Amino acid sequence: MNAIEVRDLHKSYGSLEAVSGVSFEVAMGEVFCLLGPNGAGKTTTVEILEGYRTRERGAVSVLGIDPAHGSRELRERIGIVLQSCGIQTSLTVAELIEMYGRYYEHRRGVDELIEMVELDAKRDTRASDLSGGQRRRLDLALALVGEPELLFLDEPTTGFDPAARRHAWSTIRALCQLGKTVFLTTHFMDEAQTLADRVAVMRAGAIVAVDTPRALGGRELRPSTIRFELPDAKAAEQLPPVEGEVMADGRSIAVRTHDTVRATAAITGWALERGIELEHFSVTQPTLEDIYLELTGEHEAAPA
Amino acid sequence: MSRLRRDLALVGWQILYEQRAFWRNRAGAFFVFLLPVIFLVLFSSIFQHQSIGIGGGRSITYVTFFVPGILAYGVIATTFNNMAIGTAVLRDDGVLKRVAGTPLPAWAYISARIGSTIVVTALMTVVVLLLGHYAYGADVRTATLPGLLVTLALGAATFTALGIGIVRYVANAEAAPAVANAAILPLTFISGIWFHFKLPTVLSDIGKVFPIRPLAHGMQYAFNPFTRGAGFNSTDLLTLAIWLVVGLVAMARFLRQPYRA
Repeated sequence: MNAIEVRDLHKSYGSLEAVSGVSFEVAMGEVFCLLGPNGAGKTTTVEILEGYRTRERGAVSVLGIDPAHGSRELRERIGIVLQSCGIQTSLTVAELIEMYGRYYEHRRGVDELIEMVELDAKRDTRASDLSGGQRRRLDLALALVGEPELLFLDEPTTGFDPAARRHAWSTIRALCQLGKTVFLTTHFMDEAQTLADRVAVMRAGAIVAVDTPRALGGRELRPSTIRFELPDAKAAEQLPPVEGEVMADGRSIAVRTHDTVRATAAITGWALERGIELEHFSVTQPTLEDIYLELTGEHEAAPA
Repeated sequence: MSRLRRDLALVGWQILYEQRAFWRNRAGAFFVFLLPVIFLVLFSSIFQHQSIGIGGGRSITYVTFFVPGILAYGVIATTFNNMAIGTAVLRDDGVLKRVAGTPLPAWAYISARIGSTIVVTALMTVVVLLLGHYAYGADVRTATLPGLLVTLALGAATFTALGIGIVRYVANAEAAPAVANAAILPLTFISGIWFHFKLPTVLSDIGKVFPIRPLAHGMQYAFNPFTRGAGFNSTDLLTLAIWLVVGLVAMARFLRQPYRA
């Protein structure tokens, strides 16, 4: 059985169609990432899965249960980290974990969780006195307290500094090793790349691509680009023949090729043989970000 | 253990956590709990040692006139203001949404919030009555105590329900204290909570329509040395009961969508 199955999901707010015909499934134990710009319909989709919102059309099954029925059994088995969600700030870390733990039939120990999210030093600190990063770690502990099979993480590292993000990622990866299914939404490409087994890119209420981060949007099949600068524009005419497309802009050369290794060898061999300096030599593959911007049509809007 | 028994135990635990959170929030505890007590101390110091003859050589202290009003105000502060402001904050901070994502049933959570309010109201009542009686010589009648407690309990239920129900009309948590006070303060003056002014008929009629006057009047009735019987005033209790129904409907409407999507 799949952890999540979504077929032809629709949801509108007034005349705005937030989600229009979304379908996907998430396997048990998989880390699935919904990637997309703000307003693409990510939050609406995930909140329908969590049971916070109702849908208009389509079939949804989460752990074999329809979340629209608000079933307690489902809430026993899922953990949710919402984008920004408050807490009873006058209670301490340990008190909050203990309190939320009581809501679940199966629960993890307070000490174990505090250790897991590394809040040992803050055990008796009130939630109001925690830093932003510490609060998010508390959020994670509270989402895990009921030993969920499926964990929803809605933009779990938004507002984190780079070090805190890497830290959060290693915690999430540790969870995956426990066999949890993770449903992640984010607008950070590197987060999706680091954590996800599969990525679905959402744009204007629809999923435009689903694949592994490596293969997304035919990334593996796309040509790489070799760039360098020649000492003068004349040398460009003497370049050796290579598979692919050679674009010259004065002294700057860009070669788009599927045969990266052979083309690189041909060019560098040619340059060494003739004693030509190749400045700013680089070989790049399209990044997940390139693919993402292309898929979401944000290429023009994005800063260079 | 059956699920219901487990849930009832959960309500009990949750009341303890709510209590802990309430008393740790100093500002909240001050306005909700301590203000009625401070009113008692103030009024008592102003009218110290003054008493009025009630015929037959008997007299009662002046403070006795204020205690029922202070209790009525205290009930409103601990239930209506506390619930309206507290619930608006929990909604805006997203705590209600977080709780809705856990297996804790909504009824259990709201029962615990109400249970915690009952504890605070009961404590306030006991402190005001004991302090009023033993420190300032207020005349607390045992004969009318049943009427006093029933009126108080009905008033507490009514204002708790209204306090939760009004959150639906509170735009945001910052506005909650203003909305709560705007709903309560003007009415206290035409509801005879503190003093009995000679009011224009229109104003006193307006006061009679709303639930503050029946609560205050019902309490004063129980403190009145001339009241016979157990201190039940049927008009006041009936008006409060009607408002309880209004409050419960408003509360149910709020609870249908308690968090912001």
